[in-house]
Formats: sequence, structure tokens, C-alpha cells
Amino acid sequence: MHDGSGRIVVQNLSKRFGAVNAVQNLSFTVEPGSVTGFLGPNGAGKTTTLRMLLGLVTPTAGQATINGRPHDQLGNPARIVGSVLENEGFHPSRTARNHLRVYAAAVGVPDRRADEVLGLVGLGPAADRKAGGFSLGMRQRLALATALLGDPQVLVLDEPTNGLDPEGILWLRNFLRSYAREQGRTVLVSSHLLNEVEQLIDQVVIISQGVTRYFGPLDQLRKSQQSRVLVQPADASALVKALQENGITQVSPTPDGRVAVAGATVQQIGDLAAKAGIAVYGMQEETADLERLFFQLTQGQYQGAPGYPPQGPPPGPPQSPPPGFAPPQQYQQQYQQGPPPGYAPPQQYQQGPPSGPQQQQGWGGPR
Amino acid sequence: MGNLIKAEFRKTLTLKTWWVLLIPLVLVAFWLSYFWGWAMNDFAAFIGSGTAREIAGPIGLDPDKLPVGLLAIAHGVNIAQIIPAMFGIFALAGEYRSKTITTTFLTAPNRVSALSAKMITYVVWGALYGLVSFGVSALAVVITVDSSRLPDTTQWLAALGGTVLAFVLVTLFGIGFGAVLRSVTLAVVLLLVWFLLVENVLVGVLWNVTDVLGGILPNGTANGIVGGIAADAFGINSLNLPAGVDTWAQFGLQIGAGAPGVFSWWASALIFFGWTMLFFGLGWAGNQRRDIS
Repeated sequence: MHDGSGRIVVQNLSKRFGAVNAVQNLSFTVEPGSVTGFLGPNGAGKTTTLRMLLGLVTPTAGQATINGRPHDQLGNPARIVGSVLENEGFHPSRTARNHLRVYAAAVGVPDRRADEVLGLVGLGPAADRKAGGFSLGMRQRLALATALLGDPQVLVLDEPTNGLDPEGILWLRNFLRSYAREQGRTVLVSSHLLNEVEQLIDQVVIISQGVTRYFGPLDQLRKSQQSRVLVQPADASALVKALQENGITQVSPTPDGRVAVAGATVQQIGDLAAKAGIAVYGMQEETADLERLFFQLTQGQYQGAPGYPPQGPPPGPPQSPPPGFAPPQQYQQQYQQGPPPGYAPPQQYQQGPPSGPQQQQGWGGPR
Repeated sequence: MGNLIKAEFRKTLTLKTWWVLLIPLVLVAFWLSYFWGWAMNDFAAFIGSGTAREIAGPIGLDPDKLPVGLLAIAHGVNIAQIIPAMFGIFALAGEYRSKTITTTFLTAPNRVSALSAKMITYVVWGALYGLVSFGVSALAVVITVDSSRLPDTTQWLAALGGTVLAFVLVTLFGIGFGAVLRSVTLAVVLLLVWFLLVENVLVGVLWNVTDVLGGILPNGTANGIVGGIAADAFGINSLNLPAGVDTWAQFGLQIGAGAPGVFSWWASALIFFGWTMLFFGLGWAGNQRRDIS
């Protein structure tokens, strides 16, 4: 039987559809008590991975287990794992309550559970309406109600915010957070938009083109991204020179002609500019932008990175983090007006997510 | 397994399909049996007195006392059994259409148990449709056929058993057929066209070449179960038809039972069981492995 741990383990999972590698050698672990985001652009292999986890798609290689077992060995699986999937169907002529009563019977829970979960997702008033007339948001709620029938230990949701209004998203966030944190259960939520789930998740698995790009606590990813100051000076090269003379070397141009400065405060930059007699028209502090980092992690911008194959499986064992990320093109540009000698290429984007032992934690097994 | 079977019954009972399909089933079974009962009540006149004597002679019956009621019942239930076949198509192909198959698989221990529960449930539905069909056909026959030409007790029971068996098999055939074609619409259209038209035309057109088709093709063998019971009572199945009977008289006789070319009820049942298992097996194998995405 299963081990009751509530842990999801994906190990060297691969799936090939004909000539297409939907998922390549994917590995990650999801622990109970936290909400884990499963992120990647559309077509990254998220849905296929979740469907392999749920036994709907057979892996080409590797395995995905819940509580140490593949889905078809869980006994009564709906008591262990509930899921909200895209493309999930309801018979258009069946009422919400009847839909739930059908699957309450299959799961082996009493019929009153159908009304309980309807209340839980706020569909009580629509219980006797036919699912065919439901809006996308209502269908998502009904799918969640179905997932909750067996009061499962693990909840897997594929793009659950699709079709939900802002109010619905807020409600879902609170619901999932309390489900995971207060009840100590496992929640895995996929999304193609980090900012949709950023407030909700503690852990994150980022995949792109079927390969894991990052796996660890969201906080670590956040810390890896330094804040910076965007300065709009009258003379950019003069400002860069002044900054570098004062030991502030993490300077780079932005596409809109401003200068991005890391490792210095607004006050420091303002003082230096004043001392050098450079007019500054504006300064803007930019804090850690996860979305941008997510974008970098998932865009096909690895071509220029040394030692990183453009596509294909990640180098080394799957437990190792991707080695470094290429700086986006625009940061590699040099100043047109002749950069000052010794102008260092921007550092911050080459560091990428936390490296070394710090990151190893995030990749670790059970804690 | 009990839970899954309960869920399968709820799936059917929460929709209208099961009783909407009962309407054509009752109408077809009743009126076809009524028409054939009325038409064959005067069997001798219907088939020609010479042939009637030829048939009646070897089995030691007065032509006026041939159990023509059986033929009328066979006709009614044989056409009506297209309904449970359609019902079977909805069982699995319908779940793919509404995409409820995902939840069905997710709430079952594994696919084998999900599909087994479905099979058991639809065996029961097939038997129920068979009972209803037999009931209304029997009623129509009792109304139209003289009591001397009604089946005896054994024949009544045989016809009842044959109808239930045929309906169960036809329902499972429908599940398999739908599962193989993966489309409700395509499966229903093909089923109707093949069972009601193509195969009958093939059997008729090729009758001069070979009379074996009706005995081995799906519609012929499905019809041959109850039709064969009727034909057995007359000795007009292909296995024991007197050698002197003209080919086209044989066709007419067996058409009268709704099963031209029929070998015997048990041979038909076995061959149709083979057809059912072929489609059901292919459909099952496909579902066992298929990626649901």
C-alpha cells in the first residue's frame, strides 16, 4: 500500500508523443504542508507531467508517484489525490449535484458529501442546474468540488485560475493555502504565469521545453534577483564612468536608454551624479522581479550560454541545477558612445538563481 | 467494484437517454411483431401451401398449427435490438465525448475495474431492455396470432432466454463498437447503416452465390439467436432444412424468421459472441493503454 506521506515524487520522467519530446527526464519532489507552483510556458510539458502523475498518460520512461505509489496502485485513488484538470468534462445534461453523486458513489463517500463540497466551492445555489449551462469559472469550481469529494491528502490543479474572476482567484488562493498549510496537505498548482500564483506558492518547479529549469523555494529564487535602480541621466557614459570610479560596477544599459545600477542605493547614485555634475531626470527603484527571472528561465535564450546545450536534456544528473543562465541579449549591448575602459559586463544576470550549496537545499529530498 | 457499479447506474439514471431509447424500442418491438403476427397468422397462405406442407410434414405438424407466433416475436426483437446496441455505444464513446472519462478513470482503482464495472452494469441494462422488448413483442403476438399457433411453454421460455442473451451481447457489442470507433456519431451512423441496410442487401444480393453470409455476419448472427429459436421450431434453419426446399423458398422462410441464412440459434449465438468479443476486446485493449489527454 501507499506510505501516507503525502509526497509527490517525479523521477526521471519522460514522455514522447511520436517525434515530440513532451517531457524529458524531469525530476522533482513536492512535500506536504506547502503549495508548490509548477510553472512553465504553454507547451512546456506541465499538463503531460500532471497526467502522468495521475495515471492518465503512460510515461515513456521514469515514474511519477504519490505516497510512494503510481496512481493505479493507490487502492481508492480519489481518497489520496484529487485533481482539477483542463479539458475535464461534465455531461452537459447532468446537474452539478448529480455529477457529484455519480462520483461520490465511485469514491465510496456518502451522498451528503456532494452537497458539502458544493457548499465548499460556493456552488450550492447552482446545485440543480445542468453543467452544460455553467460558465468557465463555475466549471472550475465544479471540477474542484469533484476533486474534493474524497477529502484527498494531495491536490493537483492544472491552470486552476483559468476562467476565474479576480474574486475567484483570491478565494482559490486562500482556500489552497489553508488546505496546504493548516491541514498539512500537499498542493501542486500548475500555471504558465508566475504572477498569477506568486502570492500562493511556497515552492516552485519551473520547467521549459520539457526540462526542469529550477526547483526549490520561491524565496530563494526571489533572493537571487537583486534589486536595482533605473537612472535616467543626461549623459549615460559619464554616469557609468562616475559610478565605476566609485566602485559601483554592476551597471548596465536598459533597452529604453536608461542605466540600470545594482548594488547601490538611490541616495548613493544621486550623490555621485551630483558630485560629477551629471543631471539626473529620474530614478526608479526596481525590486526583485520574479516574472522577469521566470521569463529568462523559460525563454529559449540559452543558445549563447557557454556550456549549455540549446535544448535537450539538462546536463549532468537531474538533481543538479542548470549551470548558469545566459544574459538576455539587450544586456550584452555595449554603450554606443564608446564604453569607458574596464567597463565590466553586467554581473547580475549571469549569476542566475542561487548557486552552490544554497541551491542544493532546494533540490534536496524529504526534510 | 460495488461502488463503481453503483456509479455507473447513477450515470445512466441521471440522464434521459435510457428511457428516451425505450420509446423506439417499445414501438418497434410491438408494431413489427404485430405486423408479422398478423401477416403470418395465415402461414399457409403467406408462404404457399406446397412449401408449408413440406415444412410441416417432417416435423409432424399440421400447417395450421405451426408456431408462427415465434417468428413474429423474433422479428420484433431482432429489429428492436439495434436500440441496446446504440445504448452501448453511449457507454464508453459517450464518456469520451463529454470527457467524463477522465474523472471516471481518476475515481477508479484502475482502468480494469472501471471498465469491468461498466461491463457488468451494461449487461444488466441489456437484459432489462431484452425483457421489455420480449414483453411487448409477446403482447403483440398474443393479440394477433391464433392461440393454436402460439408457442408452447418451452418455446416461450426459449424465446425469452434467447432475447435476453441477444440483447446483452448486442449491448456489449455496442460498447466495443463505440470504443473502437471513438465517436458516438460515427458509431451510431455506421451501426444503423450496416445493421439495417448494408448487411441485409449483401445477404440478399449474394444469396444466389452463397447463403453463408447471413449465418456469419454480425447482424445475421445477432438476429439468428432468437430467429434461430423460431427457425428451429420450424426446422427451417440452414442446418436441418430438407434438401428439397428451393433456395429462394429457404430465403423466404428464413426472412420470415428475420434471419436469412441462420444456422441455428446456438451457432448464431456463438458466432455473434465472437463478433462481440472482437470489438469489445479491441475497445478494451485500446482503453487500457490509451493516453487521456
